Amino acid sequence: MRVILDPERCQGHGRCYTLTPELFEPDDLGHCVVLPLAKDVPPELREAALSGVANCPEQALSVEE
Amino acid sequence: MYGENESTEQTSLAGFDPASSDDPRALFEELRKQPVLQIGPGFAALTRRHDIEAALRNPALFSSREEAVKLGNVRPLIPLQIDPPKHVKYRRILDPLFAPRQMAALEGEIVELVDDLMGKFVGRGECDFHEELAVPLPCTVFLRLMGLPLGDLELFLSLKEGIIRPPGATMEEQEPERKRTADAIYAYFGDLVDERRAKPGDDLLTRIMGSEVDGEQLTKEEVLDVCFLFLIAGLDTVTDSLDCFFAHLAQHPEHRRQIVEDPGVISSSVEELLRWESPVPGIARVALEDTEVGGCPVHAGDNVFLLLGSANTDYEAMPGADVVDLRRNPNPHLAFGGGVHRCLGSHLARVELRVVLREFHKRIPEYSLAPGTVLEYTPGLRSVSRLPLVFSPVAEFVG
Repeated sequence: MRVILDPERCQGHGRCYTLTPELFEPDDLGHCVVLPLAKDVPPELREAALSGVANCPEQALSVEE
Repeated sequence: MYGENESTEQTSLAGFDPASSDDPRALFEELRKQPVLQIGPGFAALTRRHDIEAALRNPALFSSREEAVKLGNVRPLIPLQIDPPKHVKYRRILDPLFAPRQMAALEGEIVELVDDLMGKFVGRGECDFHEELAVPLPCTVFLRLMGLPLGDLELFLSLKEGIIRPPGATMEEQEPERKRTADAIYAYFGDLVDERRAKPGDDLLTRIMGSEVDGEQLTKEEVLDVCFLFLIAGLDTVTDSLDCFFAHLAQHPEHRRQIVEDPGVISSSVEELLRWESPVPGIARVALEDTEVGGCPVHAGDNVFLLLGSANTDYEAMPGADVVDLRRNPNPHLAFGGGVHRCLGSHLARVELRVVLREFHKRIPEYSLAPGTVLEYTPGLRSVSRLPLVFSPVAEFVG
């Protein structure tokens, strides 16, 4: 599983990196940075990845299997 | 039911205000039967989650410019009333100053402030939560951030009220007080900017004045337009949220107990109570072109109110949105708006709300509304005018 960010949609709500800091972190503006680990999500972080994705109010994040 | 031709409904909606409703959720559910609610000539509201999301993400069509809402200001408020592309310049300066990491660093200081404020009433066994905690906390935090004397608290509160809740029943009646207050706000911050220019400090205002984008600092007028917005958008909304949260918890002991028994639920409770209460029930936009929403016409120049509270409880779009679940996940609510104008202060608000939920329940785990209390929610922004709570007095040992 791979997490994809649409940076045009991200507005810095910060839900992703607050809920799933293993896969996301904020940049200086508080917008989402997808960490390298999210390019191939380990099985134990699948649920956390989906939670980070589903909590984005802008639908800026998606997953690809 | 709220169609354009039903004149009785139109009349009853003249005083349309979900904020002051005891149960805005029921009102919103009724409103969602129509995608566009005609509130009056040239004034409409969007009611459904998908339409509201689309409008938030389309500032070229649903603009946040000055015409969207009159707040006594003589120039556009920055960044709220500036649309892209210019908007980006301001958010590049302001977003880093309000980023989650910066705000998290304030937590210790906010804990102390909450402790101090609570110290004045824990031994008494009762308090007016609104007056003694929800109002002074966000204002004090703001004064500290801006490096201002705490003695200016009352002045700030009166400036904020003069814009948000001036006396008068109509916009016209309220106009003179709003105008007077706006003049006072510009004058106060004007002097302050001059002072900081002569003697920079270690505070938010100095940092805003010193920030550069593309080698340019903000002009004095631009700094004033930022300060004006901070004052009217940053203080009241946290007060409103705290009032709504504690009014809910005082009336729902099962939720209060959940927080007391498991402080791990506090972060998701903040999100859920923001969603459920939507202390800012709606935000204003103006349509720049003729368009249609859900098959209903919206005309260029119409003031369009985006009902965030309705979007947040739209169970057609968000299954289960009609109940409170303090552990809700996912919870992609729009309590802070969305799109380019997403609330700048959202990360600060979250820290304040989390700290109050944690510290209050640590010291006062059991409380309820004072007997006979009838809650009155204020129009526009959803605060509670009086929120008397009763609890067992806590013996405090001062060392």
